[in-house]
Amino acid sequence: MIKISDITKSYGTGGSKNQVLKGISLNIGDGDFTVILGASGSGKSTFLNVVSGLERPDGGSVVYDGCDITKLHDSELTEFRKDNIGFIFQQYYLLPNMTVEKNVRMGADLAENRDYREIIAAVGLHDKSQKFPGELSGGEQQRVAVARALAKKPKVLFLDEPTGALDEQTGRQVLDYISKLHNEFGFTVVMVTHNQNIAEMANTVVKMNSGKIAGIDKNQLQKTAYEIGW
Amino acid sequence: MIIGIKDAIKLISITIIACCAVFVCAIFLNYGIDIAAQKGEITTAAGAAMYSAIVSTGKVTAAVSGGCLAMTSAVMLLFYVKNYIDTHGKELGILKALGYSNINIAKHFWIFGSSVFAGCFLGYFSAFFYLPTFYELQNADRLFPEIKPHFHPILAFLLIFLPAMIFAVLAVIYAYLRLKSPVLDLLKERREYKTKLTKRESPDMPFLQDLAKITVRSRKSLVFFIAFSAFCFSAMVQMSASMIDLASKEMAVMMLAIGLILAFATLLLSLSSVVKGSAKTIAMMRVFGYKHSDCSKAVLGCYRPFSYIGFVIGTVYQYALLKIMVTVVFADVENVPEYNFDFTACAITLGLFILAYEIAMYGYSKRIKKLPIKSVMLE
Repeated sequence: MIKISDITKSYGTGGSKNQVLKGISLNIGDGDFTVILGASGSGKSTFLNVVSGLERPDGGSVVYDGCDITKLHDSELTEFRKDNIGFIFQQYYLLPNMTVEKNVRMGADLAENRDYREIIAAVGLHDKSQKFPGELSGGEQQRVAVARALAKKPKVLFLDEPTGALDEQTGRQVLDYISKLHNEFGFTVVMVTHNQNIAEMANTVVKMNSGKIAGIDKNQLQKTAYEIGW
Repeated sequence: MIIGIKDAIKLISITIIACCAVFVCAIFLNYGIDIAAQKGEITTAAGAAMYSAIVSTGKVTAAVSGGCLAMTSAVMLLFYVKNYIDTHGKELGILKALGYSNINIAKHFWIFGSSVFAGCFLGYFSAFFYLPTFYELQNADRLFPEIKPHFHPILAFLLIFLPAMIFAVLAVIYAYLRLKSPVLDLLKERREYKTKLTKRESPDMPFLQDLAKITVRSRKSLVFFIAFSAFCFSAMVQMSASMIDLASKEMAVMMLAIGLILAFATLLLSLSSVVKGSAKTIAMMRVFGYKHSDCSKAVLGCYRPFSYIGFVIGTVYQYALLKIMVTVVFADVENVPEYNFDFTACAITLGLFILAYEIAMYGYSKRIKKLPIKSVMLE
C-alpha cells in the first residue's frame, strides 16, 4: 500500500515560484493498476517523480508499507528504489553502447535475477538480445525498457507516458506486454498518460488538473490494450 | 554558425600542452641558434665538447618533448572534434538536412586551431622572458663567450604560426571526415558500436564489469590521456629530482612545474570527460537504485590500471633518457656526475602520484554523487 498525504511541490523562487503540486493525497493498493490522467502541465509527471522517490516534495509524506520515503537520506532512497521500484520512461533511456541483453542485465543484477533471459523472451525479443538499441525500432526499444524494469522484480512499476513516442500499433503492443506481465507477476502499476483511452485499462483512474486531483474513477471492467480506442 | 570562440576556449588543456611544448622547444632551439653563431669563438677543448653536448641535448629535448607534446595535442584535438560532433549531432544534422555541405560545416572547425595558437604564443613569449636566465645557467662554467638572446623570426613562425595552421587544418579535415555520417545518424545521435566484440565476450559477465569494459572501450582516447598524465607525472617529477645533481635547481623546478601542469591538466580534462560522457548512464543507474560508489567504480575505477601503466612507462623513459644523455651525449664533457636509477625518488614519486590520483578520483566520485538525475535525463 502506498499512502500519499498532502504532497506539495514548487519550482522557482520569489515571484517566479510555480506551485506544481498543491496538496495531493491518494492511496494506491498493492497490485493496483493506477493511471494518472491529465493534460500537459497538470503536474502528473512531477507527482510520479515524487511518489517514486526521484524527487523530494516540499511538504507531505509518501509512505510505502509504513516507510515514509520523504524522510530517507539519499543513500537510503537509492536502496529503496533498488529494492522496490521499476521505471519506464517515454524516451526509453537505454544504454546505447550495450546490447539488449546487457541493458536488461542492468536491472536484473540489482535483484540477482538469473532468469532475465525469460523476461527478454516474454517481451518477444529473444532473437534480438544481441542487438544494440540503435538497431531496434521504437517499439522494440520500449519493450527492452519494459524488460529492464521488470528484470529487477519491482514491487511498483512507474511508467511516464510509455507510449508517447510510439505509433498506435506499437503502442498497443507495448501496453499489452505490460498488462500481461502485470497480471502474471502482480506488481503495482502507476502510469502517467494524457491519453484518456489508455485509462480504460486501469482499475483506478486519477484525474489531475493544475496540481490537484480533479477526480478518482474506478473501472469495474478493465479493457485490454486491443479493446481500447486510441 | 554553432561553433564559436567559446567552444575553442574549452580546449584549455590543448592550450596548456601547446604552451609547455613551445616553451621547452623555444628555449633550447633559440639557445642552439645563438650558440651556433658563436661557434668560431669557442677555442678550448672543454668548450668544444660542451658545445656539442649542449647542441645535441637541445635537439633531443626539443624533438622528444616537442614531438611527444605535439602528438598529444593532436590526439586531444581530434578527441575534442569527435566529442563536439557527438554532442552536437542534432544541430549539425539539421544543418546538413537543410542543405549545408560537409565541407561548409567542417571549415568552421578551424577555430579550434586558435587554442593551439594561444598556447604557442604564450609558450614562445614566456620562453623569451626566461631566456636570459637560461643562457646564464647554460654558461655557468664560462666555457663559452657571453651570449645574449636574440629574436629569430623563423623560430617564431615555426613555433607559433605553423603549428596553429597545421592544427586548424587538422581540425577541419577530421571534422569533414566525421561529418560524412548519414544525416539521420547525426539527428538521432546514433553511433556505431562494434557488435562483434561484445558478442565474443562472456554473456554472464556482471553488468558493472561489463559497463567498466565498455566505458574504457568506447573512449580509448581517454585511456591514452590518463596514461599520458601519469607518464608526465612520473617522468618529469623523477627527472627533476635527478636534475638537481645533473644540471641545476632552476632546471629541476622548471621541469617539475611543466610536468605537474601537464599531468594535472590532462588528468582533470580526462576525468571531466569521463563523468560528462557517462552522465546519462550514471543518472539511469541511480534511478534504478545503483549506489553512487558502484557508479564511480564502474565509470572511473576502470581507468586506474592504465594510469599505473603510464607511471611505469614514465619511470623507464626518464631513466633511459637521462642514462643516454649522461653516458652518450655528455661522454666527452668533464665533471658530469654519474647517473644511476634513484629508487628513493621513484618511491616518493609513486607515493605522491597515488595520493594525487586518488584525491582526484575522490573529487570526481563526489561529482558523480551530485549529478542532478532529473536535469541529466531531461537533456
